[in-house]
Amino acid sequence: MIEVAGVTKRYGERAAVDGIGFSVSQGEILGFLGPNGAGKTTTMRILTGYVPPTSGTARVAGFDVQEHPIEAKRRIGYLPEHPPLYTDMLVRPFLRFVATIRGVPGKDINARVDRAIERCGLAPVAGRLIGNLSKGFQQRVGLAQAILHEPDVLILDEPTVGLDPSQIRDIRQLIKSFAGAHTVILSTHILAEVTMTCNRVLIINEGRIAADETLEQLAARGGKTRRIALRLARPGDGVEGAIRAIPGVLSVIREGGQDGAFVVETEGTRDAREAIAQAAVTHGWGLLEMRPITLSLEDIFICIIQGEEAA
Amino acid sequence: MRNVLAIAWREVRTYFTSPLAYVVVGVFLMLSGWMFWASLVRFSSLCLQYGNNPYVFNQLNVNDMVVRPMFGSMAVIFLLLIPVVTMRLLAEERRTGTAELLFTCPITSGQVILGKYLGAAFLLAVMLGVTLSYPLLIMATSAKPDVGPTLVGYLGVLLLGLSFIAVGLLISAMTENQIVAAVGAFGALLMLWAIGWVADSATDTVAYRLNQVTFGLWDKLHLGLGGPTVGDLLNKLSVSEHLGDFRKGLLDTEHVVFYLSVVFFSLFMTQRIVESRRWRG
Repeated sequence: MIEVAGVTKRYGERAAVDGIGFSVSQGEILGFLGPNGAGKTTTMRILTGYVPPTSGTARVAGFDVQEHPIEAKRRIGYLPEHPPLYTDMLVRPFLRFVATIRGVPGKDINARVDRAIERCGLAPVAGRLIGNLSKGFQQRVGLAQAILHEPDVLILDEPTVGLDPSQIRDIRQLIKSFAGAHTVILSTHILAEVTMTCNRVLIINEGRIAADETLEQLAARGGKTRRIALRLARPGDGVEGAIRAIPGVLSVIREGGQDGAFVVETEGTRDAREAIAQAAVTHGWGLLEMRPITLSLEDIFICIIQGEEAA
Repeated sequence: MRNVLAIAWREVRTYFTSPLAYVVVGVFLMLSGWMFWASLVRFSSLCLQYGNNPYVFNQLNVNDMVVRPMFGSMAVIFLLLIPVVTMRLLAEERRTGTAELLFTCPITSGQVILGKYLGAAFLLAVMLGVTLSYPLLIMATSAKPDVGPTLVGYLGVLLLGLSFIAVGLLISAMTENQIVAAVGAFGALLMLWAIGWVADSATDTVAYRLNQVTFGLWDKLHLGLGGPTVGDLLNKLSVSEHLGDFRKGLLDTEHVVFYLSVVFFSLFMTQRIVESRRWRG
């Protein structure tokens, strides 16, 4: 549905996006993840045809965004980071206006506007001035204008930014409901959002793609070595040595000194927990706690951004 | 065309849901009405004064003394008000980010610009349309102005206003700041207005000047040193000079073509600027 190849965008000397390439297939929800200023917004603007790339091509539904902008734009619904709203218009006339310029046939406009209002829960505010709406409702109006023409591709730039938790949940549910019929690209710097709504993640950093994986693959990145957190009631001096002697253990680090907390790193293929428990009993350390440390997506994300291999 | 009209209609709605349209139309009507009334009062007092002097009385003409000055004062008021009408057209879209909506919709930048232009032109038509009541009012009296010259005069100020709007739109495309757009448009229009004022003293011919800047090459190629003077050229560029004949009731295609050229050139440049600003982000 979306094919991006070798797209670069330079502003003077600085490359906002540097040779990005990826593709998204029909019905997928792709999470576009990266720190602020990584090039997420620029990539989305290139995809929507708002900003022409310095080099490279972007195709939407088979149409090159630069060569056939009208055909490509007809198939895209776009919600920019700041919802583009005419604050001096009422909600319904605004949506009617957008439907017209998005190319919805005249006889369908009323039905489509009604449907978008219903889907985005705008019915209570349909007759109000956009400028007087709360941030949450403005965001919904922004979303409504993006889905009016029932586009194949929906591009949402940080759709939940600045909303309160219950509004965020509503918007996420709304986005999830688009899956299947629409292809969705969603940018965010909130990881939880990706895990909750997307089935694929594209991590972008400093204008380049740092990772392009499904959620499962991303989570599995933490699996090469295992780490175990250990807390002992009476840690003696020989603890490190004794544990390191267990087969498969790579390192033992004492954390916080007197607290008796250790982090044990072992080979990914071996589970040393039983042996450690055994050792604790025979040496009388007083095992208080032992739990595996799984890397959270948050950690993996930060590792990838900092260019380190997730450990 | 549907897209152009949708954008024009939205523009008109914005004018008339904000105080802007009412203030602009109101100020225009107040000033033009006052000036029209002032010349009418002067005309009627002259008529009373010379009522028993047939020689002078027959020279008093309502077209010359009331209708013609009316178009002149309208043109001056346009000079002040049109920058206010055009200042937000493109500048505001950029500032609020709605430009991102327009330019990611399946429409061309030309359609956006044309739509905005027509929206502002509609406001101009409203302003002028209401003032049609002025000549109609005096039609009812014994001082009947000639209809033909009056309509030609209206065509003149309409074309003048349309070219002002195009220049204002062009300036509005260059900035995100409405104040800058208004001041810039005002400066550009006033310059175009006054550009012919040096005409009388600029008596060198254009060819003579070209010969100077090419270090005599022009003359060596036998291109001739005669022809129009620099002053003539500047006069041809002046938006105020071209209105003169319309006010007299003369319809000359030269002037119509001039105003339409200003419109087309400005709209074309606007489109180029909008496109190039997209590249620069």
